[in-house]
Amino acid sequence: MLHVKPEQPAECENALIERVKSGDQSAYTLLYQLHIKRVYGLCLRLLADQSHAEDAAQEVFVQVWHKIAMFDGRSQFSTWLHSVASNIAINYLRKQKNWVQKVVSIEQDGMDEQSVKDCKGLNGLDKLIVRLPERARMVFVLFAVEGYRHEEIAEQLGIAVGSSKSQYHRARQLLQEWYENE
Amino acid sequence: MNKPNFDDFLDKSLNTLDKEIAPQKDLWAGIERAIVNTHEPKQSATTLWPKLSAIAACTLAALVALNMFVINPKPQPVVAISDYFAQQKQSLLVQYKNQDALTDNWQTQLQELEEAEYAIKQALKNEPENQALLTMLAQIYQQQLDLINKVHAPRWQSI
Repeated sequence: MLHVKPEQPAECENALIERVKSGDQSAYTLLYQLHIKRVYGLCLRLLADQSHAEDAAQEVFVQVWHKIAMFDGRSQFSTWLHSVASNIAINYLRKQKNWVQKVVSIEQDGMDEQSVKDCKGLNGLDKLIVRLPERARMVFVLFAVEGYRHEEIAEQLGIAVGSSKSQYHRARQLLQEWYENE
Repeated sequence: MNKPNFDDFLDKSLNTLDKEIAPQKDLWAGIERAIVNTHEPKQSATTLWPKLSAIAACTLAALVALNMFVINPKPQPVVAISDYFAQQKQSLLVQYKNQDALTDNWQTQLQELEEAEYAIKQALKNEPENQALLTMLAQIYQQQLDLINKVHAPRWQSI
């Protein structure tokens, strides 16, 4: 695999994107290297499962390859990419649910303590975030880490704005409880 | 030394949070396999049609069954719906008999769905005309058919 320095200037990235749009796979390798850690970090925080995060991150880069013509350059590429990644991770979680969880709308728990210990790359706050239950975790990551507004989160998750806010407060309360009991 | 209060901890952690996390394994190889020589993903008509036909047949079967057994139920709808789907399922299993499945654990997933089917049938013994249970049973059968189709119709997600 080719390697690229992570400090790639924006104009170089734009040139890479144009090459990718014309079907240049070697340019896409470089683009992947620039963004994989950020995309994987987002998927891991949202999904709280290493294996699922790996699958979702792969899915992101396969879909972006097919959809890159839709990127019109009006926003930063990273902003567009992270929006695609968060949508894919959210949909990935929906697809993982079995019929009982879908019918009864049961949310999945976060990682247990052993899984947190086993999961490499998590430090400090991240170790607490991945323990949050699904809805609280997703809202917290999208709001506090990724900087989305509650209105945007509500639309992405298909919930009411009020629910997004209450899940955020639930997440904060749980994080505080765990932090103070550590 | 005292622990910082939670608000300070949270503010500081969020401000200094490293958003990048390196995956523990190389993900590029799978991505490359999925995109190689396919800027526009295409499947040839010869490979696509049998899968589309199977999916369409299952969907049609579900709609017909829902209408026959749930919307306009006849006596003993559970028996009728079970017979109908057993036939559909068997024909799919025969169709894919010589084709490798995409995952090894699909039969475990199928077994879980069959356990759900059993639980719903048990509930239906007490309430044989319960529309919600009948609908749920039809959905479970549909999920079984979808699963069989899905694991025998490779897609790029399987990388």
